[in-house]
Amino acid sequence: MRWWVFIPVLALVLTMDAAFMPAFAIGGHVPQLWPLLLAFVALYASRGAALWAAMIVGVWLDAMHPALGVGAEAPRAVTVFGPHVLACAAGAWCVLETRTWLYRRNVLTVAFSAFNCALLASLAFIAIAGIRVAYADPSPLWGGGSGGAALGSDLVDALYSAVIAILPAWGLQSTLTVWGFATAGPRFAGGNRMNRGND
Amino acid sequence: MPFVSSRRILVIALGGAALLSALPQSFQTPWSGTLAGVLWAPLVPGASALSWARDRVRAPAEPYQGLPEELRAAREDRDQLQGELDAAQLRVGQLERELGELSGYRPADRAGWQPRLATVIERGAGRPAGLLGIDVGTAQGIGEADPVVVGGNQIIGMIAAGGAENRSWVIPLDDRRCGRIDAIVRPEAADGASDASGGTAAGGKKADKADKARNGTRTTVLVQLVPQGNRTLVGELESPANVKPGDSVLLSDAAWRTAAQGMRIGVVESEGALDANPLRRRITVRMESDPQRQSRVVVKVRVSGQGQGTRGTGAAK
Repeated sequence: MRWWVFIPVLALVLTMDAAFMPAFAIGGHVPQLWPLLLAFVALYASRGAALWAAMIVGVWLDAMHPALGVGAEAPRAVTVFGPHVLACAAGAWCVLETRTWLYRRNVLTVAFSAFNCALLASLAFIAIAGIRVAYADPSPLWGGGSGGAALGSDLVDALYSAVIAILPAWGLQSTLTVWGFATAGPRFAGGNRMNRGND
Repeated sequence: MPFVSSRRILVIALGGAALLSALPQSFQTPWSGTLAGVLWAPLVPGASALSWARDRVRAPAEPYQGLPEELRAAREDRDQLQGELDAAQLRVGQLERELGELSGYRPADRAGWQPRLATVIERGAGRPAGLLGIDVGTAQGIGEADPVVVGGNQIIGMIAAGGAENRSWVIPLDDRRCGRIDAIVRPEAADGASDASGGTAAGGKKADKADKARNGTRTTVLVQLVPQGNRTLVGELESPANVKPGDSVLLSDAAWRTAAQGMRIGVVESEGALDANPLRRRITVRMESDPQRQSRVVVKVRVSGQGQGTRGTGAAK
């Protein structure tokens, strides 16, 4: 995978998630594009590249979503690195495990994988946050309410993200050759993969 | 990249992430904010541009939308003055109580405040949800616990500690992590008495009488509110308390900054009996402004050494 393509696209996607996607919020549910990008990469890139990409996405998400800790006068916004990294790795792993029985060239497959990725990432994040709240955090990282409620909300978010993802997924699929994926050749076979050294 | 193909480095990186995830916040506090600022910096120009695009796609829910500009400005000025009046009345009441007790008189907090206009550049997405990122920070004098308002007197949240030089986080008022909030429910004028207050001297006297009559029948009620998300807060009251839907709810919490006192939280949406305790009633308060749909907010920045009434005349930015 060409990292010089991935990093700028990731920056654009995260900027859109932070600043633009709230325009499409329905009932407090905001679609996100990072699961789509991560699922797209995990569908085509090598296993190692996909997991590294997931970790980079996770680091950036951790930087963008501070937790609230105890402060003197007001709760303190503290950036906690780690939870999103593991959550994104779990989401990417889910796609890596399922990609062998999926028809990857279909746009709906990418959207479906984005849903899987977002859902498993959410499950992992809430599990990690649930463990942390037992000994480290004054309030859970997922915000207020129970973990089950947060998971239910994230389920709707993931579904909505997958629906919104169909159009950008088509755009990503059309740029497939730009990414230089190891497993996205026109007539992919195991031998082709061995000969590609750009991962 | 060679590191991508190294399984050992990948496992070490994942292990490091797991270790960081397990460590308490205090282990990351000294450096994580700086790193987050560095990671966020390249996204700022794009986020500002996309925020503008977002507001074009979906207009922010500003107060008095659709009204002519002059009328809207006049109403916002009115609300701002109303907020200051409410705050002053609360302060007067507090001083009267203190003087009445003759035991613990404290000098008034002379710290004033200045408004700082800020643009919301990040909101809503991901976990934790709800925090709003704004484009002003410690460099502009923003401090922790500064109240954030819109429309002159509608409070929508407070500044979280740990902001950066040019970026701060706002905890919305309806976020459970804002904690319990002490407030007062102020009965609305049932007979239109407030409308008469702007007329002639005779009208003013009439209004005074109406105010006294009103205060005699329906007094303000103290209530502790618990944020519930989705623009709502709930509280419990003693059963005899005379609270009706439509009554205004004002913040009156000693834990909040002076500049936040008397700011309008919202209106009573509903009230009803509490099944678990028939002697108490439950009210639901709905915020008038949706924190998640604001594009611009005003932070009331504390200015030390100034009187409460000497704040700036306009937004500082």
